[in-house]
Amino acid sequence: MNELRCDPITGRWIIVFLDRMPKPGEFLLEPHQKDNKGCAFCWGNEAMTPPEIIAHRKHGPPNSPGWTVRVVPNKYPALRIEGDLDKEGMGLFDRMNGVGAHEVIIDTPDHFRDMGDLNYSEAEEVVWAYLARSIDLKRDKRFKYILIFKNYGKIAGASLEHPHSQLIALPIVPKRVQEEINGAAKYFEYKERCVFCDMVREECAEEERVIYEDDRFLAFCPFVSRFPYEVWILPKKHHSDFTNIERDSIPSVARALRDSLARIRTLLSDPPYNFILHTSPINGHERDDYHWHIEIIPKLAKVAGFEWGSGFYINPVPPDMAAKNLLSVDIELKLDGIAKKGEQ
Amino acid sequence: MPELRKDPVIGRWVIISTERAKRPDQFTGSEVEKEEFAPGEKCPFCEGNESMTPPEIYSLRKPDSRPNGPGWEIRVIPSITPLLQIEGDVERRGHGMYDLINARGAHEIIVETPQHVKEFQLPHEQAVKSLNIILDRLHDLERDQRIKYVLVFKNYGKAAGGGHIKHSRLQLIGTPVNLKRVKEELAGAKSYYDYKDRCVFCDIIKQELKMGQRVVAESEYFIALSPFASRFPFEMWLLPKSHSCDFYKMDRSQLPDFVSLRKEVFGKMRKVIGDFPFNLICHTAPFRRDAKKRGYWETIEYDYHWHFELLPILTRVAGFEWGSGFYINPLPPEDACKSVREAKV
Repeated sequence: MNELRCDPITGRWIIVFLDRMPKPGEFLLEPHQKDNKGCAFCWGNEAMTPPEIIAHRKHGPPNSPGWTVRVVPNKYPALRIEGDLDKEGMGLFDRMNGVGAHEVIIDTPDHFRDMGDLNYSEAEEVVWAYLARSIDLKRDKRFKYILIFKNYGKIAGASLEHPHSQLIALPIVPKRVQEEINGAAKYFEYKERCVFCDMVREECAEEERVIYEDDRFLAFCPFVSRFPYEVWILPKKHHSDFTNIERDSIPSVARALRDSLARIRTLLSDPPYNFILHTSPINGHERDDYHWHIEIIPKLAKVAGFEWGSGFYINPVPPDMAAKNLLSVDIELKLDGIAKKGEQ
Repeated sequence: MPELRKDPVIGRWVIISTERAKRPDQFTGSEVEKEEFAPGEKCPFCEGNESMTPPEIYSLRKPDSRPNGPGWEIRVIPSITPLLQIEGDVERRGHGMYDLINARGAHEIIVETPQHVKEFQLPHEQAVKSLNIILDRLHDLERDQRIKYVLVFKNYGKAAGGGHIKHSRLQLIGTPVNLKRVKEELAGAKSYYDYKDRCVFCDIIKQELKMGQRVVAESEYFIALSPFASRFPFEMWLLPKSHSCDFYKMDRSQLPDFVSLRKEVFGKMRKVIGDFPFNLICHTAPFRRDAKKRGYWETIEYDYHWHFELLPILTRVAGFEWGSGFYINPLPPEDACKSVREAKV
């Protein structure tokens, strides 16, 4: 019997298949051979990107090899940093100029190791870069929201193979985020509690869907997963704004992210995926009713007309089963080109 | 300069990109993969293979023919792999902080022709008959109290979730809940109406007719537009010119006109972008069975306007779009409209 489940935050309903369940192997994708020839994000090719904004370096001057994480402006930005918004109406339509920041965070100099293959300290540096750029861009008065996300693999929308994340600063609050905020505000009004905090408590108590837990962070397959093997990472402590994270929590979020991605990669044979960091809009104060988090979505199922038209998702893998399968694998790391088992 | 545009109905912002802009002809070659049957596999939707599907729900057939045998023109069957099951009661329950319903509802396939014909080659009269049957099905499902909404749609091509068999068909799904995307649209239309006392869709049609640059085609009763805040390259909306909120209550004599317009738009688009995968989705008002308990729906007859959305699947929707509900469209809708409008079929 299939089941309809309601997302407590946005009120979105999804269908979960309980009886027609595909095995993880059914999602196997065609193997893709990676090639680092002429890659603009590898060491030695720094001149192929716009000059760097910031970088973590072991050695060397800016825009030369020796970095471990590097942030550059996107060469083909969806939004441009210069100019004013010039908001205007055209009859009943509204428009404004596409002003914003669009930056690329090159996660690692190693073309062949994605975030799930990094060791903890390398993953931490990536999170530091997210934080540093967010704090800096928050000061620009034109922006209302900062989105950090990652597309990995062509199907997930990555145009370049070299592991990288992206940051977009926007002059508006994106629709889905606004919906989530509205839903969370409604829940808070009714219960005087943050819906995400409740979710953390519920998932910790039930345990069945948890794939990573330490004293600060939790990673789990949400009860109302829209997609097979969807994973959310939440801080246990309430913070609406990612930039207010305690600095000593960064190793913990890096571990949760690295481990979740490593499990997904190992179980599902390096699938394309997206992750996105949802945080509160830029307005300077912490909210009681919202809670920043990361959503990871492996791209395994095609979303068809029905989902588009309805906002009603069909998930063929029950989240309890997804969590169980993700936990069943040993994390394999590709370090220095050699696959090694276990934690690192 | 890239531009941010706001959808006037649901308030979603879209980036119309210029740095990454593409010309309309750069989207060609988005071909739909060839139809491939495994050895010995037959099309379950063709005449003569009726036993391969669950027993039919409804059909339009010759007087001397029998149900589940040959001799039909349009055939409605339950989905072979239904997402929702029709039998049983809708049971709602809680699980800790979460809410659940068992998956009850309708999932039907409307086979539009007994011949093995692709979506684009469907003859005009068959398309009219199939839409007529859809209207009958909607009237029938309205009587099922468990069903709150029926979504009518068509998926074509693998990238759009259409499956590998290319036999022309429509689908409908009746759900026990109102759908999120539909609710948003309804709420957007209602708040526009509350503010202006006019239907937002009627206003869009009027303004587009005046401006002209996004009108793809027009017939006596219908209009095809590239919406101002298109999420996808070559996104098109088909709307009735006169106000009406319920698709299933439309004047059936207008169906041939609707099918002609749809065929014209498809034909022209195929000239520009080839054999493209797409989703075609009907948005209409939910069933309103109890006239007394109206409340929220009080002005729906005035504020909402049924229409079809045609979404070609030409680009990959990436994490950014999913996570934010904020779309980047590399093709300005004016350019899409111009190239389609000027295509010679």
